[in-house]
Amino acid sequence: MRRTRKKERLKSVFVEDKMYKKSMYTIMGLLVIVSMLLTACGAKETAVETPLATEAPAATEPPAGPVSIIIGVTDQIASLDPADAYSTHDWELIRNTGRTLLRWNPGTSDLVPDMATGMPEISEDGLTYTFTLKDDIKFGDGLALTAPMFAEQLTRLLTIGPSCPNDVADALAIPYVESITAPDDTTIVFQLKAAIAYFPQLVATAPYTPAHPDTFLTSECVLFPSAPVYGVGTWFISQFTQNEQIVLEPNTFYTGDLTPQVDQIIIRYFSDPQTLALAVQNGEVDIAWRFLGPQLITELESTEGLTVGTVNGGAIRFLVFNHDMPPMDDPNVLKAIASVIDRDAISDSVYSGTVSPLYSQNPPGFLGATEVFDTMYQSPNIDGAKAFLADSGYNETNKCVLDLWYPPEHYGAETSAWMEIIKQQLEATGVFTVNLTAQEWSTYVPALTGGNAYQGGVLGWFFDYPDASNYFDPFVYNGGMGTDVALAAEGSTFGEAINEKAQQLLDLLSAADVETDLAAREALYEQAGEVYADLVVTLPLFFQAEHVTYRSNINGSSAFGSPETLNIGGNVEFTYSMLTKEP
Amino acid sequence: MTPIGLIFCIVGVPFLILLVYIMITGSTGLRRYIITRIGLTLPMVFIMGSMVFFIMHVLPGDPITSALGPKATPEIVENIRESLGLNEPLIVQYGVFLKNMITLDFGNSLVGGHRPIIDEMSERFPATLELVIPAAILALMIGIIGGTFAAAKRKTARDYSLRIYSVIIYSLPIFWFGLMLQLLFGVVLGWFPISGRIDPVIGTTLEHVTNIYSIDAFISRNWLALYSVIRHLVLPTLTLGLILSGVFLRMTRINVIETLQTDYIAAARARGIREHAVVYQHALKNAMIPVITLIGLQVAILLAGAVLTETIFSWPGMGSYLVLRISARDYNAVQSVITMFALLVAFISLAVDIIYSLLDPRVKY
Repeated sequence: MRRTRKKERLKSVFVEDKMYKKSMYTIMGLLVIVSMLLTACGAKETAVETPLATEAPAATEPPAGPVSIIIGVTDQIASLDPADAYSTHDWELIRNTGRTLLRWNPGTSDLVPDMATGMPEISEDGLTYTFTLKDDIKFGDGLALTAPMFAEQLTRLLTIGPSCPNDVADALAIPYVESITAPDDTTIVFQLKAAIAYFPQLVATAPYTPAHPDTFLTSECVLFPSAPVYGVGTWFISQFTQNEQIVLEPNTFYTGDLTPQVDQIIIRYFSDPQTLALAVQNGEVDIAWRFLGPQLITELESTEGLTVGTVNGGAIRFLVFNHDMPPMDDPNVLKAIASVIDRDAISDSVYSGTVSPLYSQNPPGFLGATEVFDTMYQSPNIDGAKAFLADSGYNETNKCVLDLWYPPEHYGAETSAWMEIIKQQLEATGVFTVNLTAQEWSTYVPALTGGNAYQGGVLGWFFDYPDASNYFDPFVYNGGMGTDVALAAEGSTFGEAINEKAQQLLDLLSAADVETDLAAREALYEQAGEVYADLVVTLPLFFQAEHVTYRSNINGSSAFGSPETLNIGGNVEFTYSMLTKEP
Repeated sequence: MTPIGLIFCIVGVPFLILLVYIMITGSTGLRRYIITRIGLTLPMVFIMGSMVFFIMHVLPGDPITSALGPKATPEIVENIRESLGLNEPLIVQYGVFLKNMITLDFGNSLVGGHRPIIDEMSERFPATLELVIPAAILALMIGIIGGTFAAAKRKTARDYSLRIYSVIIYSLPIFWFGLMLQLLFGVVLGWFPISGRIDPVIGTTLEHVTNIYSIDAFISRNWLALYSVIRHLVLPTLTLGLILSGVFLRMTRINVIETLQTDYIAAARARGIREHAVVYQHALKNAMIPVITLIGLQVAILLAGAVLTETIFSWPGMGSYLVLRISARDYNAVQSVITMFALLVAFISLAVDIIYSLLDPRVKY
């Protein structure tokens, strides 16, 4: 009897246990489902998030809030000090929070007065530039900008600039500017070391932006000032969370013509381009800006609700040859290489057509740009190449051996693919043998540009100021980034004909540097381009467009140029105040 | 006080109090063991730091040339190298590094704005903690509950399913798994955000105290921010937590199965104790002891997983910082992060060993 009772008790325990477990599982399952639903499909987390920002169904109508535009980038901030910053992204922030005496109109390369009342007065000798400052320029905290204050800030660029980590001063100020003075409250005078015709372009760059005297002290570089950071531009930096985001809000004291159209611009920093591409797809960012690779761009182009704007910017890729090292000291070899390279093959097979073949050292849109390499060499022209090589005694049995170098990662993982194509194209002539070698970037750069280690290699270039001189001069003057062409002018190693051409090139570029008449300057660059191509100082390959991807409710301004690329023009200047956002 | 200092106070001070308590009240053997372990930890960190120092300096690449590119003249490069002490002989640089390591002064970054590394770590370390703690909890929950359940249902379809799950999930590449979660829950379904720690707009309303956003949101009673932080945590936590859950699941299952075959479990069953209680109250407790050891060992894997997870989800933590700085050849930053990771793993292992001794009375030191 007792045994039966115990058995029944145990049975009931097991039955209870099973029921207990079942009910526990049911409750847990329900809890999981409910919490998932609440988290995923609940009310949107922000009142100010864009309607497109998530595809989750909104349970409640969001109350009104500030209109924000979120821009995603994979760049990083290296410095916010105008006397130090020397990267495209840093400049973008400085230019949007500051103003310069002259500026490029959004979406164009037209230089117009901004803080100056007009274009500068230039002295007879071209050494003195005098600007008159508008009298209503104020920082975001209401501090009025006077010419003496501005002159002091620009002098700061000359004095402490060279000791700052990114050292923009040694590139864009010290070589050109002797002194900056302010004889009165509205006049700024630049005294130059030598006459240069492109000085107006230089003063339109970020280093020539007035910095707030209380934030950017005259005695030290201030790379990461605490927010708020006030400039005289359309925006001020209201918040700055390192590595995450920077928040810009309108400068209420701004009196220019680029008035902000939204309440906030938030720049978000991404570590992975793939994540940035997904973020613009699902609406976490409104605009995906620099950099998405060609494959991601191709994917996004076919995504509904997104527009990919192509900005034909100034990033070029080219081959640098050391004219002082055999066999590159033989003009026929260089001309043969120039005759062989099929740029379309590189563009199509490696970049899916997202880069454009380049036939002059200065890309289209720049002064004096022509397709001179195409005209001169009509590449791919195998027979022409063989003829050049035959003149120097090279043939199928006596092949010309080339050693070409490249950095495997710095210009994108695609570099090795297109260098392999170049090798194949050259070797297809039957007269070239090409040895390709990859070298880590920091070892590669000094070896190539030092001019005594490599026969030839790949280099990329992006202008500091949008002028043809910035594409020619660095590759001709001094060591010419390893081309050693200037040596030819001195007659060190080249034959007489080459010496003459190199000297001619130097003369043309020197003349163009000081020529203020635009038409005459253009003619000089056209002539220089021809001599440059004849010498094959470098071999331009392609220029890489920048891509801006944005959601359908984001628009640029039709009052300025290039609204389809959100008013980002060939000089790759992104003016945030052009942006509008539809509800 | 910096956020990293605050976190040290929150986590480190209780740990130190526990250590002091054990040193006062613990057995002589335990005291000796702890002293030995701490004594071994310091040379381990020293050896690790030295190895990283020499490997980074032997590898080709120079942070200054790498950062400045072709536009910088040799004079500029030389000036910067000199100002950062990179022109000194390697042995002198090593001496400086050792001195800095002892004083926990990590120096300045060699690239970008040359910021103090302690500042950069202060900003990023809390983000890593915010990711790895919930991921570890998730991994443990799935691992322990799933492993125990699989053991209890041994050789049934549910057991096989969980075993297959554990093998598959542990062998998935973390970057691929993260990407799939992003595509499914972020892009296709639109349920969860795929990047960052908080909605950018809500982020502007958050007051930064500890830089652990969930805590900051909680203490400032910013519930909207807290909700946003939790939403942003879901996918990275799932990625890291699920991947790690596989190994915990298998380990727990094996240990519970072994424990279920012991005599005292048979005795418990004979006394008519419910199977649920036998498994979850009697067997699991004893099976957990080796699992706790595993937790200590998995911290290193957790941090390694965080490196990839942070990169995929643009999570601004120590992992993504490490990746960024390795590619820039920023010796100082890489050395500092690895030293920090080594210290963290060493002290968590120590903590686990101490807990182990407290949990299992059979363990004598």
